[in-house]
Amino acid sequence: MSGRNGTTTFIMQRASAVLLLPLVAWFVWSVAAHAGDDLAGARLWAGKPMNTILLGAFVTVGAFHMRIGMMEVIEDYIHGGLNSILNALNWLVAIAVAGATWWALLSLPA
Amino acid sequence: MSAASGSATPRPNTPPLSPHLQIWGWTVTMAASITHRATGIALYAGTVLLAIWAVALGLGDAAFGPVAALFASPLGVLVLGGYAWALFFHLMNGVKHLYQDTGRGLRYETAKGTAWFIYAASLTLAAITIFAGLSARGGAA
Repeated sequence: MSGRNGTTTFIMQRASAVLLLPLVAWFVWSVAAHAGDDLAGARLWAGKPMNTILLGAFVTVGAFHMRIGMMEVIEDYIHGGLNSILNALNWLVAIAVAGATWWALLSLPA
Repeated sequence: MSAASGSATPRPNTPPLSPHLQIWGWTVTMAASITHRATGIALYAGTVLLAIWAVALGLGDAAFGPVAALFASPLGVLVLGGYAWALFFHLMNGVKHLYQDTGRGLRYETAKGTAWFIYAASLTLAAITIFAGLSARGGAA
């Protein structure tokens, strides 16, 4: 897998890293500012369009970036049949994390 | 003539393994490299936590109550504080990698200073974030 797509993966990992720089700064600041919010407060915050978009973007780009990172870890240490199973699981986790977050954000009561 | 080449076993069709950690002497640049990978793995788990929080937010009180209580517990504060530190470290060390990708900052003394700075700065920022979070929450810290 990496033997055929190494350069693309290298570039994608750095491009997603650059996108994550402002998103991480925004995320940490927001979470600290809203620590202790109750359900209504947290929903009010997450439901604001700009926050919904930024939170969704953070999780989506984060899932993309973490899948590549974990794939590199798996390829470094685990070979053989288990490698394919773990890479498939890795894909599933990344898609589930992004999909579940978007589902939750878009299902928030207006 | 060469017995060694005659008895050489064929190369297995697998990628090479990473060098084993035990054979290297410790340096701060090496520690930063290992910490980058460790924080990356920790952030994988942190992102799963974030997704759980988001789903609980979507489901409502029955799910959000226990999740919020867990995050507000001493263990939760420790985990979230660790998450914040991992984010800061991985972010700053990642910026270092982007810079070093251009071939700069690689002199050993420079790289050593950068690594120490990233440890100190990420810990400081994490401490400030935890303090800010506890202040925003109010009540018992």
